[in-house]
Amino acid sequence: MYTVLIEHTVMLPLLNPASGTPLYLQLIEYVKHAIETGVIRAGEQLPSVRQLAEDLLINPNTVVRAYRELEHEGIIELKHGSGAFIRESIVPRERLMKKANGVVKSALDSLESFNLSEDEIRRLLENELAVRRTGKKRRKHYA
Amino acid sequence: MRDSTEAATEGVVAITNLSRRFGAKAALNEVSLDVPRGGVFGLVGENGAGKTTLIKHILGFFRAESGTVRVFGSDPVSKPVEVLGRIGYLSEQPDLPDWMRVHEFLRYTQAFYPTWDAHYAEQLREQFGLDPSARVRVLSKGQRAKLGLLAAQAHRPDLLLLDEPSSGLDPVVRRDILEAVIRTVSDEGRTVFFSSHLLDEIERVSDRVAMLHQGRLVLCGSLDQIKARHRRITIRFETQLSAPPRVPGALAVTGTGREWTVFCDSTRVQLPDLGARIVNEDGASLNEIFVATVTGRS
Repeated sequence: MYTVLIEHTVMLPLLNPASGTPLYLQLIEYVKHAIETGVIRAGEQLPSVRQLAEDLLINPNTVVRAYRELEHEGIIELKHGSGAFIRESIVPRERLMKKANGVVKSALDSLESFNLSEDEIRRLLENELAVRRTGKKRRKHYA
Repeated sequence: MRDSTEAATEGVVAITNLSRRFGAKAALNEVSLDVPRGGVFGLVGENGAGKTTLIKHILGFFRAESGTVRVFGSDPVSKPVEVLGRIGYLSEQPDLPDWMRVHEFLRYTQAFYPTWDAHYAEQLREQFGLDPSARVRVLSKGQRAKLGLLAAQAHRPDLLLLDEPSSGLDPVVRRDILEAVIRTVSDEGRTVFFSSHLLDEIERVSDRVAMLHQGRLVLCGSLDQIKARHRRITIRFETQLSAPPRVPGALAVTGTGREWTVFCDSTRVQLPDLGARIVNEDGASLNEIFVATVTGRS
């Protein structure tokens, strides 16, 4: 699994220290993406903090932070003494994401005939998300 | 004279109001910094900013003209053996005895360090591809750097002190150096002090960063906090401007016409009502922060 993880870096941009995004956040996104695309599977072990830091040439603290946050989000489990493992419950998430993608596709197919611009579709989506988030009704005026 | 309990709680390196002149020039001007145990401390600055002078004080090569320098709680000038035995030092183009063979140099170096790990040294020698019977004088620049790195690491020093080690070296050797930094700090309680003008390397591995400019410390803090504070904000005006807009407290303002980029330390500036729209806001790289901080002050 581990060699696949490193080979996978050719498909994703390498961690970029100069970016405005902190390295530990980039690492979290990288792990999530690897899970979503099936590169790492449920129950599999992630590299040790030391190993990953040495291979990616980043400070071990960065890896620790990323692993802690991933554990907090319920994506990995830190087993004391043995290492970091992807949670078993993560597999349904990968399938869930695939299903959700299908829903988005059919929604966009349905909207074809409405002839909306991309920005208009995006605004509709954000509006609905905001309604759910704030619990308030927000109506945008469409000229 | 500090006692052992005080030494245990203070950082690995504690520098207070250090100043030094070379003739009329102030090479260091009231510099104070603390290197906590167990992290990577990055020191950046342009050539001539005072980085090497500072490091020579840490090694005890210079006695403090004014201010104090403590390493592991002791004065490196008055306790050289105690202090240097716990430091692994590598500089740009290390000064190695040309006439010695690699294995002789390693035997010679080993004699100075009670904690030398011969097995680890052999592992590194093999990894670096250094022929034990080769004379130092025939080694390439990169091989010399690797030999210096080996000698600095093999005794597993409490403080790995690197002064611009990567200058002019190929990416493979630079990788070996970064790996040495990470291996050191992965071990409990060991510390790295790493000076470089290659900001991408500093940015990868540092916990704390200090910036020297013309002998003064212009920035010092955790890398995460420094990066979080500095923002690059792009603003767009309705009309073209012939001169940069005045933004009080901004580190730098660049651009042309209608679109301008304001570089600021967000703790010090509120974007006033300029009559412009904010079109983008981003974090900044250490390189941008460095340039803006330094040019803003000169």
